[in-house]
Amino acid sequence: MGDILMPMIHLQARMNLLFASGPAPLDVDFKLAAGSLTGLCGPSGSGKTTLLRILAGLTMPESGLIRVGDRIWLDTAQRMQLPTQQRKVGMVFQDAALFPNMTVRQNVEFAAENRRDSLVDELLSLVNLVNLADRKPATLSGGQRQRVALIRALARRPDVLLLDEPFSALDYETRQQLLNELVRLHRQFGTTTVLVSHHQDEIQRVADRILELNQGKVTDIGSPSVAGKITPVPIMGTIQEVQVEETTTQLRIRLTDNLVVLNVPSGAQEWQIGETIVVSLGTETLTRKAN
Amino acid sequence: MTDFDWQPLLLTFRLATTTTLLLLLVGIPLAGWLAFTRFRFKPVVEAVISLPLVLPPSVLGFYFLLAFNPTGFLGEKLLSWFDLRLLFTFEGLVVASIFYSLPFMVHPVQAGLENLPVSLREASYTLGKSRRETFFRVLLPNIKPSLLTGLVLSFAHTIGEFGLVLMIGGNLPGQTRVASVAIYDEVELLHYGAANAYALLLLVISFGILLTVYAINKRWVIF
Repeated sequence: MGDILMPMIHLQARMNLLFASGPAPLDVDFKLAAGSLTGLCGPSGSGKTTLLRILAGLTMPESGLIRVGDRIWLDTAQRMQLPTQQRKVGMVFQDAALFPNMTVRQNVEFAAENRRDSLVDELLSLVNLVNLADRKPATLSGGQRQRVALIRALARRPDVLLLDEPFSALDYETRQQLLNELVRLHRQFGTTTVLVSHHQDEIQRVADRILELNQGKVTDIGSPSVAGKITPVPIMGTIQEVQVEETTTQLRIRLTDNLVVLNVPSGAQEWQIGETIVVSLGTETLTRKAN
Repeated sequence: MTDFDWQPLLLTFRLATTTTLLLLLVGIPLAGWLAFTRFRFKPVVEAVISLPLVLPPSVLGFYFLLAFNPTGFLGEKLLSWFDLRLLFTFEGLVVASIFYSLPFMVHPVQAGLENLPVSLREASYTLGKSRRETFFRVLLPNIKPSLLTGLVLSFAHTIGEFGLVLMIGGNLPGQTRVASVAIYDEVELLHYGAANAYALLLLVISFGILLTVYAINKRWVIF
């Protein structure tokens, strides 16, 4: 999404926040392209969460304007404020905020328009949670909980997907896996996504653009390739099938939930089905499919 | 044991059940409002609700006596508009008991709601659910131990009423002669056997109820 499309979200907001260094105004004005994935980083206590809450309508800025597509969500000058319930947002909270009284499936159903919604089953299978559908959230691991929170937010069919450091409490490997799943779902559902994280290096590989919030101001650090630093990302996978040809060997590898086909030179190494391997991907090796 | 009669005990449980059911209707919305409101005079409302905890029941009884008096303003209106007599009647005991036991319903439920993570409520809002739907489908089901505590404390507290009943209810068999009053009455008449029967039954039943609650609540803590 390097090219500038019609701005999906235009957010202008001003409010006074109490920072570690004392009170200072949060004063932001930025646009997000439709269908983009924006990483929002910055030191803790810089107002990242507040920004998401303003977008979701959970916090009211002293003055501000939010336009999403052709709809106005907030216009303090006109004393107009669309309640959270009427904003098509999906929000994933840091603590997942799953409803403890409901099973995994019931949590997702709660967000869907009706219980027969086929999207519920689709989402559950997309993140491999069908087997855990009847479990209560208390019995799930941290990563599983955030997966449920993610698909619950998507079951609402949101235009805007907001994630408030959802993976920060997870270990490195789970975090990478969930980031991959997030990107996949983000593309599949075409949401305009904002991901708050303090692991800037990690979101750089998935985000189309990185915004940094510091002392109440947003600075655009640009798209990750412009930002310069491209770290190859190791992804764990399992070999599902090996086809040895004369010069190349075709490996079918399961990476998280995707089946990937990789051609490697024959003869250099023996490959075995079921073997776990690490595939290293750099963003420079990826080309974007033209829209 | 000749003077023992089941009626006062049955009346006690009828009063406690009616009061508790009505308290559910009144206390839960009130607790919900108190838990989330930013109303400036919330402390005043909280103080009023908690008054029965500290006041002698006779103080409450005295003012109810004045208020319910059919020659007084409120008592007269109730009588002429609704044909409702609250002095020395079962209905009067129910109304007084609701005020008397209100803090026992409101406090646990309010505390339960306030202790839930804010994100549960906010997540439900972002999923498009109204305040009312959020309250009934997300918040209340997750404070079952608090609800049970409120329910049982209100019930038990109403069983334990004495001074208030004596002041505004008197001692009319089948109407206002609840077990606690019957015990007092039997002792006055030196019928220790009957007094002991009422007292022992109240003791055993109350203990049984509380024991059940604590046993269940212990299991519910990890839901």
